[in-house]
Amino acid sequence: MNILGIPILTFVTFFPVAGMVVILFLPGSRGKAIKIVANIVTGLEFGATLLLLIRFDAGSGDMQLVERLPWIKAIGAQYLLGVDGISLLLVLLTSLLTFIATLSSWQAVQRRLKEYYVFLLLLETGMIGVFLALDLLLFYVFWEVVLVPMYFLIGIWGGERRLYAAIKFFLYTLFGSVAMLVGILVLRSQHQTFDWMAMVAAGSVIPAVLQGWVFLAFFLGFAIKVPMFPFHTWLPDAHVEAPTAGSVILAGVLLKMGAYGFLRFSMPLLPAAARRYAPAMVVLALVAIVYGALVSLMQKDMKKLIAYSSVSHMGFVMLGLFVLTPMAAKGAVLQMINHGVSTGALFLIVGVLYERRHTRLITEFGGLSSRMPVYAAVFLIMTMSSIGLPGLNGFIGEFMILMGTFPVSWLWTAVAATGIVLGAGYMLWLYQRVMFGKIVNPANESLKDLTVREFATFLPLIVLAFWIGIFPKPFLAIIDKPVEKIIRIVNPAHFEAPR
Amino acid sequence: MMSTAGSDLGHLVPEMVLLAAAVASMFVHLFVKKRGRRGAGYVALAGIAAAGLALVLTPPSTDALFGGHLAVDSFALFFKAAVLAAGALAIVLAFRFFDVEKSEPGEVYYLMLLSIVGMTAAVSATDMVTTYVTFELFAIPSYVLAGIFKKERRSAEAGIKYFFLGTLSSAVMLLGMALVFGLTGSTGYAEAGPALAGANGLAALVAMSLFFVGLFFKAAFVPFHMWAPDVYEGAPTPLVIFLSTAPKAAAIAVLVRAMTVVFGGYAMEWGTLLQAVALATMFWGNLAALTQKSLKRMLAYSSIAQAGYLAIGLAVWGEPARMAVLFYVVVYVVMNAAAFGLILLVDREGRFDESVDSLRGLVRRAPIAAASILVVLLALVGIPPTAGFMGKYFLFTAAVEKGMVLLAVAGALNSAISLFYYFRIGRAMFLEELAPPPEGGRRPAENVSGTVTAVLAVCAALLLFLGLLPSLLASRAAAALLGL
Repeated sequence: MNILGIPILTFVTFFPVAGMVVILFLPGSRGKAIKIVANIVTGLEFGATLLLLIRFDAGSGDMQLVERLPWIKAIGAQYLLGVDGISLLLVLLTSLLTFIATLSSWQAVQRRLKEYYVFLLLLETGMIGVFLALDLLLFYVFWEVVLVPMYFLIGIWGGERRLYAAIKFFLYTLFGSVAMLVGILVLRSQHQTFDWMAMVAAGSVIPAVLQGWVFLAFFLGFAIKVPMFPFHTWLPDAHVEAPTAGSVILAGVLLKMGAYGFLRFSMPLLPAAARRYAPAMVVLALVAIVYGALVSLMQKDMKKLIAYSSVSHMGFVMLGLFVLTPMAAKGAVLQMINHGVSTGALFLIVGVLYERRHTRLITEFGGLSSRMPVYAAVFLIMTMSSIGLPGLNGFIGEFMILMGTFPVSWLWTAVAATGIVLGAGYMLWLYQRVMFGKIVNPANESLKDLTVREFATFLPLIVLAFWIGIFPKPFLAIIDKPVEKIIRIVNPAHFEAPR
Repeated sequence: MMSTAGSDLGHLVPEMVLLAAAVASMFVHLFVKKRGRRGAGYVALAGIAAAGLALVLTPPSTDALFGGHLAVDSFALFFKAAVLAAGALAIVLAFRFFDVEKSEPGEVYYLMLLSIVGMTAAVSATDMVTTYVTFELFAIPSYVLAGIFKKERRSAEAGIKYFFLGTLSSAVMLLGMALVFGLTGSTGYAEAGPALAGANGLAALVAMSLFFVGLFFKAAFVPFHMWAPDVYEGAPTPLVIFLSTAPKAAAIAVLVRAMTVVFGGYAMEWGTLLQAVALATMFWGNLAALTQKSLKRMLAYSSIAQAGYLAIGLAVWGEPARMAVLFYVVVYVVMNAAAFGLILLVDREGRFDESVDSLRGLVRRAPIAAASILVVLLALVGIPPTAGFMGKYFLFTAAVEKGMVLLAVAGALNSAISLFYYFRIGRAMFLEELAPPPEGGRRPAENVSGTVTAVLAVCAALLLFLGLLPSLLASRAAAALLGL
C-alpha cells in the first residue's frame, strides 16, 4: 500500500520530517503560518496512520506491510519496517497525541515557535520509527532520535528549573540507551543479524547466562524509559518542567517506548532470561505501583502528582507484561493506550489551568466547578478513567491485568489492587480540592471555561475513553494475536498445563 | 616487484605538488609586498587542492617503491586524503582567525604544507628509517606552528612544550627502531616482520613498546597525552585544528601499518597493552573534560577521549576493527576540526572568547551555525543518525564480536559521560539567552563568521550523510585495508 508512491510505513514515519522541512523554510516571524502548517501536518499524519487500519489484517499475529531495503551492507543492517497489532495501536496513539499536543500548543507556546514545531515534528518521526522499526540498529537510531528534540522541548519551553530537568532527562535516558546498545551488539554477534523477525524465527539460540546479561542491558535502557522503580527519579523533574505538550507526549508516548521495548525485544528475544527475571520484574512493578501512588498522595503540585501517578500506572503495565500470561499482557498493552489517553488528557487539563493562572499548586485552586462547568466535566471523566471506573477505559486494562495475575499469585494481585485503591484516593482528593468547595482565592473568580479549541483537543480522548471502556473488542482484537504469539515464546508452559 | 626510482616518482605526485606549493607559498610570502601573507595562504590552499586532485588520479600500487622504503597502496592513499582534508580545513579557518587577530604570520601556510608532506609520506613509509625521517619532517614544522605567536606567552609555551616532549618521544621511538634493527638486521617492514616473529620475545617486546611510544605520543594516548591540553590550549586555534587532527591520523596510519606488517606476531601482547591504553585514554579524557572551564581546554580533552575510542579498535584488531579504525579516523578529523572551529565562529570586538558563554543564545542569531554545531556535538557524543555514532558502533561491535565486551561497555559508558560536557555547548546555544549587557554599558559588537558557518555546515552535512549511509565510507575503508 502506497501513499503518493511511497510505501505507507515509510510515509507515516517520515511525513512529519517532511513537514519539518517546510517549517524550516518559513520565516520565523510568520508565527501563524508555522502553527497552521504544523497542525495540518500532524493532522494529516494522524489520518495517514488511520489508513493503516484499512490494510491491516487483525487476524494475523505476524508483521505486516513489511518494508525491507538493504542499509549498511558491511554489518547487515537493514531498513526494515513492519507493523503488528501492538505497534499499530501505539502508532495510532502517537499520531493522535502528537496532533492533540500540537493543537494544544496554539496558545500555550508563544516564543520561538519555529524551533518548537521543528522539534515536535522531529520527535514524532522518532517515536513512530521506534514502534515500526524491526531492525535492531534502526530501532536504536530512532530511539536516540527521540532524545534530542525532547531535551530541547523541556530545556527551552520548560518551567523554572528546565535546564536541570532537561539534562537529567537526557543523561538518564542516554545511559540507559548506551547499555541497550551493548545489548544489541551482543544479540547481533549471536544471531549475525539485526532482523527482529529472523531472530524470533531462529528461536533461543543464546545460552541462558548470556541472555541474562543482555536482558540486564536492555533492562537498563527500557526500565529507565518506562520508568521502573528505582529509575524513575528523572520523570517528575522532566514532567514538571516540560511544557504541556511535552508532558503529554512524554507521558503518552515516550514511557510506552520502554514498555514496548520489553514486550517487543526483551521478552521474545531473551525468553529464558525473561522467565527467570520475571518475578524480580514483578516485584519492581509492584513497588512502583504502591510507591508511585503513595508519593502521589503527598504532592502539592498537580503536574507532579500526575507524574508520580504515571509511575504507578506504568507499574501496572510492567506487572501485566511480566506475569507472562496472555490475559495480563493484553491488559498491559491496552493499559499502555489507556494511560496515554487518560494521563495525556490529565496533563492537558493541568495545562489549561496553568495557562490561565500560571500556577499548578493545588492550594491555589478550589471551587472551580462553579466557574468552569465544562472543564469540570472533562476533568471528572478523565479522573474516573485514570482511577479505573467501570465503563471507562482504565477499568478494562486494570481488570485484565489483575485477572491475568490472579491465577499466578493472589498476593501480587492483592498488592496491585491496593494501588487501585490508593489511585482512587489521590485522584479523587485532587479533584475535590481543585473543583469543589467555595472559591477562596479571588483570582479564580473570573476563570474562563474551556474554549472550543481546547474542548476539541479533549474530545477525541473522551471518545476513546468511553469507547475502550464500553466496547473494547476492536482494540483487543487487534492486539490479541501478536501478544499471544509473544507470550507463547516466553511462557510456553502456560499454554500446556490447563490451570 | 621492484621498479626503477624514476618511475616510482610517479606515485608521489601529490607530495611533489605539495612541496612545490610550499616553496611557491614561501616565495609569495617573502616577495609579494601587498597582501603577500594571505597570498601565501591562497597558494597553500591551491596546493592542497591540486594535491588532492593528484591523489584522486594516483592509482593504488602494490609495488614496493624506492627499494622498499615507501608504498603507495590504497591504505596510504586513504590516509593521505584524510590528512589533506584536515590541512584544507585548518587553512580555511586560519584565514578567518588571522583576519580577526589582525596579524598574519604567513610562514604558517608553508610550514603547514611541509608538515603535510611529512605526514603523507609517513603514511606511505614501509621502512623504519623512512618512518623516522618523515615523522621528523612532519613534527618539526608542527613545533614551530604551535609556537608561532612567539610574543604571546601561551603560544610560546605551547611550542616549547611540544618541542621538548616531541623530540623526547621521537628519540624513544628511534631507540625502538634501533632495537628492531638489532634483532632482525633489517629496517624494512617487510623483512623485519617475519624475522621479529622468530626473535627473542622479551627484547622484541621492548623494541615494540619503545617504537609505539613515539606513535602514542603523536596520537595523544594516555599516558602520553600530557602535552596535548597545554599545547591545544596555547596554540592558535586554526593550528590546533591542524595539530589535533592530521598528526593523529598519520600516527594511527603508521601504527596500523607497523602492527600489521612488523609486529603482527605480537598481537596478543599489544592487544593487552592497547586495551589498557584505550580504557585509560577514554576515561581520562572524558573525566578531565568534565572539569574544564575553558572551552578550548575542554575540547582538547575531548580530542584525547576521542582517540581513546580509536584505541579500542586497535586493541581489538581483526578485519572489522581495523575497518572501524579507518572509518573513525576520517569521522574524527571532521568532528574535531569542526569542534575547534566553533571557537572561531563568534568574535566580540575583534577577540575570540574561548568560553562557552560566547555561544549563548546562538540559535537566535545564527540558526544554521547552531544547528550545524548541534550535529557535530551529537556526532562527538555518538548519537545517531550521525557518522560519530556509526563510527563508535563499528568500533564497539568489533569489540563485542571478539568477546571484549568490557571495552564496548566502557566505550558506551564514556559516550554517555561525554554528553555532559558536550551539551554544555548545546545548552548554551539553544537553551540559554544572550547575556544582558553590563550595567550601563553596551553589548560588545559581535560578528558571526560566514566562512566558519559554511565550514561547520559542510562538516555537519558530511557527518549526517555518513551517519545515514555509512557504507560509502566503510567500503572505502575496507578496500584500503586490502592494500596493506
